[in-house]
Amino acid sequence: MEIDRERSEAAPASRLARPRRRARTGPFRFGQYGLLLLVLAVADLPLVWIVLTAFKSDQEIVAFPPTIIPKELTLENFENLFLISPFASYLTNSLIVAVATTALTVLLGMFAAYSLTRFRFRFLRGVGELSLFAYMVPPILVLVPIAQILTGLRLSNNLLALIVLYTATLLPFALWVLRSYFHGITVELEQAAMVDGCTRFGAFIRVVVPQAVPGLISTGVFTFNAAWSEYLFASTLMTSPTSLTLSPGLALLMDQTGVYSWGVLMAGSVIVVVPVVALFVIAQKQLIGGLGEGAVKG
Amino acid sequence: MGGGLSDRQLAFLLILPAAVLLVAFALYPFVVAALDSLFKINLLTRDRTFLGVDNYLRVVSTPAIQAAFVRTVIWTIANVTIQVGVGVVIALLLNARLRGQTLIRGLVLFPYMVPAVVIALVFRFLFNDLTGLVNVLLQEFGVITKPISFLSSPATVLWTLIVVNSWKYVPFMVIVVLARLQTVPGELYDAASMDGAGRFAAFRHVTLPWILPVLIVATLLRTIWTAYDFDIPYLLAFGGPLSASTTLPIQIRTLAFGQQQIGLASALAVCVAILLVVAASLYLRAYRTSENRMG
Repeated sequence: MEIDRERSEAAPASRLARPRRRARTGPFRFGQYGLLLLVLAVADLPLVWIVLTAFKSDQEIVAFPPTIIPKELTLENFENLFLISPFASYLTNSLIVAVATTALTVLLGMFAAYSLTRFRFRFLRGVGELSLFAYMVPPILVLVPIAQILTGLRLSNNLLALIVLYTATLLPFALWVLRSYFHGITVELEQAAMVDGCTRFGAFIRVVVPQAVPGLISTGVFTFNAAWSEYLFASTLMTSPTSLTLSPGLALLMDQTGVYSWGVLMAGSVIVVVPVVALFVIAQKQLIGGLGEGAVKG
Repeated sequence: MGGGLSDRQLAFLLILPAAVLLVAFALYPFVVAALDSLFKINLLTRDRTFLGVDNYLRVVSTPAIQAAFVRTVIWTIANVTIQVGVGVVIALLLNARLRGQTLIRGLVLFPYMVPAVVIALVFRFLFNDLTGLVNVLLQEFGVITKPISFLSSPATVLWTLIVVNSWKYVPFMVIVVLARLQTVPGELYDAASMDGAGRFAAFRHVTLPWILPVLIVATLLRTIWTAYDFDIPYLLAFGGPLSASTTLPIQIRTLAFGQQQIGLASALAVCVAILLVVAASLYLRAYRTSENRMG
């Protein structure tokens, strides 16, 4: 087993290690760095602008011509955000929904992915195809019936219903990523554990799960971000102000502030973006690998 | 736990919760939509009048829906073309062994992570007629003499949305293509350069064939997702002005929740779903072909 793993890791590495004959200097290289600078500016300056605006005073934001760097830093936008809207409640709701959805999705996804990769039964094939199909179903297509069903069950404005709904819509992605992870883990380890007296389920929990941690992390981060920022279902199903989550809450604030208090809206944006970025930075390596696999490989 | 279970029982128990959720929230809603599409439904009294295929005839004959369909086609083709083109160029750039790779990759992927509502807010601000930075800068550099109303004019709104949406999703293409680029065997380039191939020829005959399977699948996925994208177009322009940015997903929601025409909205959703099935079968076929080619 050990040898197997070494070989499979060593093979692509030796291919990659071959140096490519490319000029290290010269006008082509110069052009590449120029283009890179442009790409980075377009990708990231809007986000820099959010942060800069959030800390500017209202007078400075509407001043013409606009200042780039705030003349004086102020927290008044953040204070106003919590004063003029139930932003604290949006924040709490989103946090509850995102954490619970992530836990449920990772747990159920882990069980189902293990079942799909390790066993060959007819009903499993059916579920596998159903999840492939569900992965591509855009939320807008099931929005109307789901809204009807949940309203019929008097479950609109219910955070728990939203959690279950999110889990269902994010499971196909979790299965997609986790299946490829479980495929990469050899069965022999489990078999050895079972010889040592573990049940199959015990071997799964003690042997397979620890090895799938990178996959579980990347699944978890994507699930959290998706649930944290979801707009369509939340804005349709959550109608009372106390059950609103961040995305519809912030959109509502955009409507209400009418002429736009950009400072307050950008302060809200900063708060929404910070956890996403923090998680991304922490798990960057797993995420990029997981995204590449989840998107096009099974 | 799991002590006396056979493999079959364990497999069933582990898959059960996921299967129930998928049936309840993916399959069942489809059946409900298909049934609803045959009725006229009064939301208050919950009365249902059977209409047969009338709703479908109205889907095809309603000018607003036809216009939304055309807009969706423009929206999708423009988005996907930009995303694939720019995505491949940036992926090649990032694969060219420049300094600071990890940081750069993170910075490039950033827009993909940003929630739609935040994107909507910041681009509404940047593209604002009066105080928006884009108009200020364009005037400053003398490109234009008076502000462009990017989001508030029917002539420009859809194209502005396409630019913003591409801004968010180009990173997705970059990461997918980049992952594939990093597996190109170096020997292929050596062989190409021994044959005297220049940069362009090497791209055309080595790189492109290598990334093509992944590119096809990613393009089809993006096509499907873009066609049904709701958040960014809706939050940036709410379908307006004068319906100029109402694509089919926005139309479905407006019909269902704005005009209370559940039956008609369901019929439209079913029509869109049929288009989805066609696209999905193309996707599955391309996926299998590319899997085979990848070996």
